[in-house]
Amino acid sequence: MDPRMAELLTPYLKFLNGRELGPDDSLRERGLDSMQSINVLFEIEDVFGVSLPDEDITDATFATGGTLWTAVAAQLERQEVSS
Amino acid sequence: MTAAPLAELVGRVTKVAEEHVRRTDDEATFPVEALEELRATGLLGLQVPAGEGGLGGSLADVLEISTELGRVDMSLAMIFAMHCQQVAAVLAHADGRLREELVPEIAAGRLYLGSVTTEAGKGGHLLTAESAAAWRDGELLVDRFAPIVTGGQQADGFLITLRSPDSEADNQVSLVYASRAQVEIEPAGGWNPLGMRASDSGAMKLRGRLPAHQVVGRHGDFHTIVTTVFGPMAHLGWASCWLGTAAGALSRVIASVRGSRGKTDLSSELLMTRLSRARQRLDTVHALISHAREVVETTADLSVPKVQLLINAVKITAAEECYRAVDELVDAVGMRHGYLRDSPTRLEQSLRDLRSAVLNYSNDRLHLADGRLTLLDQEVRFA
Repeated sequence: MDPRMAELLTPYLKFLNGRELGPDDSLRERGLDSMQSINVLFEIEDVFGVSLPDEDITDATFATGGTLWTAVAAQLERQEVSS
Repeated sequence: MTAAPLAELVGRVTKVAEEHVRRTDDEATFPVEALEELRATGLLGLQVPAGEGGLGGSLADVLEISTELGRVDMSLAMIFAMHCQQVAAVLAHADGRLREELVPEIAAGRLYLGSVTTEAGKGGHLLTAESAAAWRDGELLVDRFAPIVTGGQQADGFLITLRSPDSEADNQVSLVYASRAQVEIEPAGGWNPLGMRASDSGAMKLRGRLPAHQVVGRHGDFHTIVTTVFGPMAHLGWASCWLGTAAGALSRVIASVRGSRGKTDLSSELLMTRLSRARQRLDTVHALISHAREVVETTADLSVPKVQLLINAVKITAAEECYRAVDELVDAVGMRHGYLRDSPTRLEQSLRDLRSAVLNYSNDRLHLADGRLTLLDQEVRFA
């Protein structure tokens, strides 16, 4: 997981309690609720310059920082290939 | 044992329900006779696979039977649909010892399952819980107040949401099973509502100690049960009940109009237009339920926004359209047939019962969730 991803997510994780976010930590258990997903997506667009396709917007993608990063990294790669 | 065709079993239940529907509505008492018939016919174990002693019914069977019961008594239909929702959660997510203990009892019709998911202060919001379970000597301590428990006085067991023990976040919710004998139940207020009077959905307190294995699925993972079972079963199930109630009302109105030929002006354009609109509303709801059921049956991941939006749309649309259809039927047939309590059209009861549909997991709350889901689904593809 890119450190920028952990940094981006941390403000949404009210139950992180000062710990560092690991790639396999459940985002839900750390406090991310589905209503905040849209804000996370906006931040991903701002920080990484990519947007996730609609079919990636699932519980599985938002399960952990690691799974979310995998989805973002796939879009970054696609962007590089096409540019 | 060879079970009779489902339609015949359902016919036995609706016959009993017909006999008691007026009294249970008047007295706001639970339809115990109809519940007994649901037990005796095996319909309480509808979804349990035949190999495990049940009727092996499908989601389509659950929805169709909910509609058939709704034609006669919406309270009974909702009682049945919500029981099926609990059973589906057990079948899909309970494993090991808990599954072995519960499934034969469900199949035999000995286990009517009540649902305890509401909490004071959070309304019907499913994904958080205030009351926490705690461990003591390897057992789960339950101390829970619930403002709305449908059929709580009659239930043989309960599925209860609780904040999972050792949890830090209020969205780590567990679903636990408690048999009636394992909890002390204290009614906490009466039930004297506008409609849905026979559902006996009063408040109660539950206290008890449960063996550690009585958690359905993993601790803290109720969210998965909501996405895969509770959400779709609740919304499609309720919508089917409401469709049944409105269809029953329309059917009785048609019988009344046809029966009074000579007295009713069948050339009335106003009457024809209103009948047409009612029918159109019900066809819309019926089509939406059928389509969503197919999507639920064939989609691997139900958490995708376009699927969630569809499932929510079924609930919102059915709640509005079924109520409106009956409301317009009151206008169509007027004061005597549409408004009097003792009219055989029973529009008055149908209208009162259906008034609860928008409130039952409030449409307002669902629209808030749908607004966010809509933002997540930028391309607007339909499930």
